[in-house]
Amino acid sequence: MNHAIETTDLVKRYGKVTAVNEISLQVDEGEIYAFLGLNGAGKTTTIRMLLGMIKPTSGTVTVLGTQVRLGSRQPWASVGYLVETPHAYPELTVYENLEVARRLHPGTERQAISQVIERLGLSNYADRRAGLLSQGNAQRLGLAKALLHNPKLLILDEPINGLDPVGIVEIRELLLELTQQQGVTILMSSHILGEVSLLAQRIGIIHEGRLLQELNYEELKRNRHRRLVVRARDTKAARSALSAVGHPTTLAQDGSIELTDATAINCPDEIATLLVRASTPPTQLMVEEEGLEHYFLRLIGLNNGALNGEMHNGEMHNGQSV
Amino acid sequence: MDNLSNALWIELRKAARSRMPFFTAVGFLLLPLIDAFFMIILKDPELARNAGLISTKAQMIAGTADWATFLSILAQGIAVGGIFLFSLIGAWVFGREFADGTLKDLLALPTSRWTILLAKFIVTVIWFVGLTALVTVVALILGALVGLPSATSELILQGVGHVAFTTILVVAVMTPVAFFASIGRGYLLPLGVAILFVLFANVLAVAGWGGYFPWAVPALYAGAAGDPDAILEPASYWIVFLTGLAGIVGTHLWWNFADQSH
Repeated sequence: MNHAIETTDLVKRYGKVTAVNEISLQVDEGEIYAFLGLNGAGKTTTIRMLLGMIKPTSGTVTVLGTQVRLGSRQPWASVGYLVETPHAYPELTVYENLEVARRLHPGTERQAISQVIERLGLSNYADRRAGLLSQGNAQRLGLAKALLHNPKLLILDEPINGLDPVGIVEIRELLLELTQQQGVTILMSSHILGEVSLLAQRIGIIHEGRLLQELNYEELKRNRHRRLVVRARDTKAARSALSAVGHPTTLAQDGSIELTDATAINCPDEIATLLVRASTPPTQLMVEEEGLEHYFLRLIGLNNGALNGEMHNGEMHNGQSV
Repeated sequence: MDNLSNALWIELRKAARSRMPFFTAVGFLLLPLIDAFFMIILKDPELARNAGLISTKAQMIAGTADWATFLSILAQGIAVGGIFLFSLIGAWVFGREFADGTLKDLLALPTSRWTILLAKFIVTVIWFVGLTALVTVVALILGALVGLPSATSELILQGVGHVAFTTILVVAVMTPVAFFASIGRGYLLPLGVAILFVLFANVLAVAGWGGYFPWAVPALYAGAAGDPDAILEPASYWIVFLTGLAGIVGTHLWWNFADQSH
């Protein structure tokens, strides 16, 4: 598998501040890789280094097989990008802004403009001056500029910012379609773990300039803490019965019993049977999964990791801002 | 040059769509109007007496109402006003990309940054030279309308040539405005620097060092302090040329090698 993006020990310092600290990552061709981090974590600085807008203090960046250098024309013919808030020339219309983008990418056919306008749902705004667009439509125009020349690689910084729920779904489907049907590689950044988990095959968690962890969807699910929450009329007796057969328990503030050992979590039916036999039948039995938000905070050390009320029963929850 | 025609089209379209060409034209057209007004005052002593202070000022600037004086005042106006006009145009053409946040869309492209910069320089110069040409044509019409005494076509051509070379000098000394718009990431720095240029040009010209201060040379050449041949040396023109070169090279280096983190 070839790497569409590869960085080696990428460092960016501004005086004594280290914005990006030894980030090494590989993004495979055709995958969606998401950078996840808080504001100021180093996502945009890294993206600007990938695009040759900022010179790394040390380390190297290779994009589509070309080592990135400041001011170079390579390899940008095959790269579309959106960095931070999208801006356009306010006095030009949506169409004219795209015409500007087209002319800066020689070889792009004029009809590509109409196609991308339709694809991004901007048909009703094609003749509207960009300065009069709503934030959501300005975001769509920014994405249209990135997609105009059918790039092999898309580098998108917070691509769903400013979009309404319908827009978020549309863009998500568009990005998935691009990778699945056209083999486009996408590197995106976001601070919304729920959104990222629906799109990305791999997630890189970045905090204070460091890449803390890279994981895929399955690993994300596996790494999240789970617990079995049990309620019984006689809590003390229930805990004794569980301890007696080797299930360590803790008592939560709300009076429920919590079990975190894998046997209990994977076989709650056996726990129920055990409690019934001990004459303290459970009044409630529930497997709770750590929320994405909690997982992220625990990972970056902003939370002590204690399992609390932020656990969620069942599958991932969408749109949880971290 | 890769894709220069497209880069030029883009810069011209951006300029054409804005109100800046109109506003800069209106502003600069004040120059021949004021020039013609001075000539009217100089031509008619009665009006000069009634005009009070303005007539005094007019007497200080020019002695007689004739084509040579008229075109000399125009050249001086272009030398000084041109510095402000060029900085305004340059600030808009270069600084707007920073102020509007559109610069990042120009940085990772198959069209080189140098091509985009060159297109910007060309459009700025076309814009400025176009306005000075417009102002000169309007001045010639106004000169005829106010009834300046007839002059030989050779004298008028000489005066127009003087204006044209003054314009070239202004263009040369003002390329650094692109650099200041870039490092200042907007409009303020280039405009502020232009004011400083004119301020220092006046001070240094009075001190007798104007020939070595590039931003004083256009006005001195235009005759602001008397016979330019007595003040300017070949070195003065070299300094102007090198300043122009430094402005282009500095802007190019900054766009290509400085971190663009905004």
